[in-house]
Amino acid sequence: MNGIINGIKFMVDMYVSGIVYTACLVFVAGFLWKMYFVYYKTPQPLKIPQTPQPTTLPGVIMRMAGDVLFFRSLSKGTTLLFIAGWVFHFTFFLMLIRHLRYFVYPIPNWINGLGNSALVIATLLMAALIILVARRYLDKKVSYVTSFADYFALLLIMGIVQSGIMMHYERFRPDIVEIKAFMFELMEFKTPFLVMIMHPHHAPGNPLFITHLSLVALLLIYFPFSKLMHSGGYFFSPTRNMINNAREVRYINPWDKG
Amino acid sequence: MADEKKAEGHCNEGNEACEANERIQEHLKFSKIKVKPPKLTGEINIPDLNPNSMFEVKPQLLTAKEMLAHLGYPTDGLIPNWKEVFLRKMDEMLKKYRSVRLYMDICVKCGACVDKCHYYLGTGDPLNMPVARQELMRKVYRRYFTLPGKLFGSRFVNGSDLSEELLVMWYTYFYQCSECRRCSVFCPYGIDTAEITMAAREILNSVGIVQKYLHEIIFKAQTIGNNLGMQQNAIINALEFVQDELQEETGLDIKVPIDVEGADVLFVTPSADFFASPHIESLYGYAKVFHQAGISWTMSTHASEGGNFGMFVHNYEHMKKINKRIWEAARDLKVKRVVGGECGHMWRVLSSFSNTMWGPFDYLDQNYKRPQHICEVTLDLLNRGALKIDKSANEEFIVTMHDSCQVARGMELGGVPNGQFDIPRDVIRGVCDKFVDMPAETIRERTFCCGAGQGLLGDDMMATRVKGAMPRMQAYHYAKRESGVNFVALICAICKAQLSKMFPEYGIAMEEVGGIHQLVGRAIVLGAKEGV
Repeated sequence: MNGIINGIKFMVDMYVSGIVYTACLVFVAGFLWKMYFVYYKTPQPLKIPQTPQPTTLPGVIMRMAGDVLFFRSLSKGTTLLFIAGWVFHFTFFLMLIRHLRYFVYPIPNWINGLGNSALVIATLLMAALIILVARRYLDKKVSYVTSFADYFALLLIMGIVQSGIMMHYERFRPDIVEIKAFMFELMEFKTPFLVMIMHPHHAPGNPLFITHLSLVALLLIYFPFSKLMHSGGYFFSPTRNMINNAREVRYINPWDKG
Repeated sequence: MADEKKAEGHCNEGNEACEANERIQEHLKFSKIKVKPPKLTGEINIPDLNPNSMFEVKPQLLTAKEMLAHLGYPTDGLIPNWKEVFLRKMDEMLKKYRSVRLYMDICVKCGACVDKCHYYLGTGDPLNMPVARQELMRKVYRRYFTLPGKLFGSRFVNGSDLSEELLVMWYTYFYQCSECRRCSVFCPYGIDTAEITMAAREILNSVGIVQKYLHEIIFKAQTIGNNLGMQQNAIINALEFVQDELQEETGLDIKVPIDVEGADVLFVTPSADFFASPHIESLYGYAKVFHQAGISWTMSTHASEGGNFGMFVHNYEHMKKINKRIWEAARDLKVKRVVGGECGHMWRVLSSFSNTMWGPFDYLDQNYKRPQHICEVTLDLLNRGALKIDKSANEEFIVTMHDSCQVARGMELGGVPNGQFDIPRDVIRGVCDKFVDMPAETIRERTFCCGAGQGLLGDDMMATRVKGAMPRMQAYHYAKRESGVNFVALICAICKAQLSKMFPEYGIAMEEVGGIHQLVGRAIVLGAKEGV
């Protein structure tokens, strides 16, 4: 009997450690590969900036900052999408920051401060996700262009948020000290090698935590091969990152240098 | 022999390639479609989805073998190994254009663009929603150019296998995009459907599906020198006629110089300006501006075309070859600067692309080492008081301005942000007392295309032209009703041709369409100058 339990424990430990490393590796390698080989290395032959593109580099940086931080371009169109989209991204970002407390020691005060409003942030995040899904389904035009992959990304993140919110409650709450200790073990240099020779550290056994972590791992693996690459891809968008000074400064076509 | 075509154009049995070509030719056959313009209410309503409502609309195919051969495209319709060539060409597009590669990859289908295209607003056809149009290519991209697609096939990635049906869809809907870039303004990532349409058209070209209007003009511009195919003596005749008219009207010795070596300015403008109406009125205006400002200028029979239809397909060589004539003429005529007339895409190529293709222009006067727009020149003259203006000549007009898509959503004018909007408006205000803008969501960076840009101006495209003009017509109608506007000033030859045809179609007088320099020409007081 003990042997079976130990066996299950070992498998859980292997699984948890394994998906974390696999996901991080796929995410980092895939993201960098896309950014460098697919986006950066592909030449852009002509200058195609898009109004209101500034004529100076600082201006372009400001414009892109406006797009990234405040969704300026999106705000020109549909208000509902703009608000729901922005709230979704902003609260998602806040939750990421809040999760830093599992990876740093000592925890800076400003991260701890976020903890007080974490439930509010997570609820807003969930509400934004629900609006985004509902809009995809109910708006006939958007629904026409929506495919399974578009729902998949949203539902996956909803799953992550939901399992996260549930862990907030006493009934499902995992041992946070244990989780943090495990994370610090995972971040040690030798741990991946231990996992490779089948000597994983002991992982927290809370099923909800494992679900949460598995979904995050799935998201990370899915990320580089999906539309989620809009995150890094935006910075290479020629209509946004080129300076509007074609007459002043001669732009060289990388494959026709003249 | 089994794979030989019979004289009547029918295929021998079992010749799959020939039969495929025949099916495609049959599906893409042009048929005349009459459409009625919607009622003018002044409002631009977002229509419900009306699937396949524009599927029947097909522009004519180019079949002239000589032209096809010159352009480097297959001469006998769909080629037998088209799938292979299609994918090779698409691969080339993805490797040569970061825009195309990136925009295939990062769209999240958020739907910000779904109600932004004038063709969608005019037709309700879901495939005229920019994201759906892009999806036509993205489906192929996912199937053949991503790892999951290659491994697991089209169903797994929601992709499309290559099929004749797909070709028909591409030809239909990539020729219902006027590459006006309006959708891209609202896209959170700046995804530019124009780039995708241009690539798709070139891919279709490579397998032998070539649209007639657009490519015929590229051929004429490359071989004869202008879009209309006018020979040199015809150009000289036309311009002499313009000069005679001007001299008769004014009683002054106003010149329309042609091929004058050593002139200061080489002036290039769309060849439609030479005689089409209302284009020619602007030509009178340009001549009066140069005359009154005392600028020595010339036109060129070699560079007798400002427009560059090569831009409308992702075929860099086409565009470069057409643009070359302008810089050859500039060198040959030893001019100090190059000025462009009223034309949208011409100005984009001239200002944004020609420096890359044929620069640096170190043989020009270093104060003007870049092409200038006629509105920049005129506004500068107005501001310096070099032109005497009598605004009462335009008293009868309450003027509005239609921003041409390629000028509005592309390049700077005057070196300042929003110059492309303010400079033409300042010129208008400088020569007219009454100027009123159309509703804010239809002008400036959000301007609607006239409905016939980038290769869709052919008579065979009447259905899309009438329906695509709807948003602009409603906006104009609104301004007319609310503010009594009775003239729309343009800086684009295609807009002029399209709107002067659409206005009567929608029940508005054709005379309400004209160029900015038409107004300038009317208001200039000719004769002795009072100091510059």
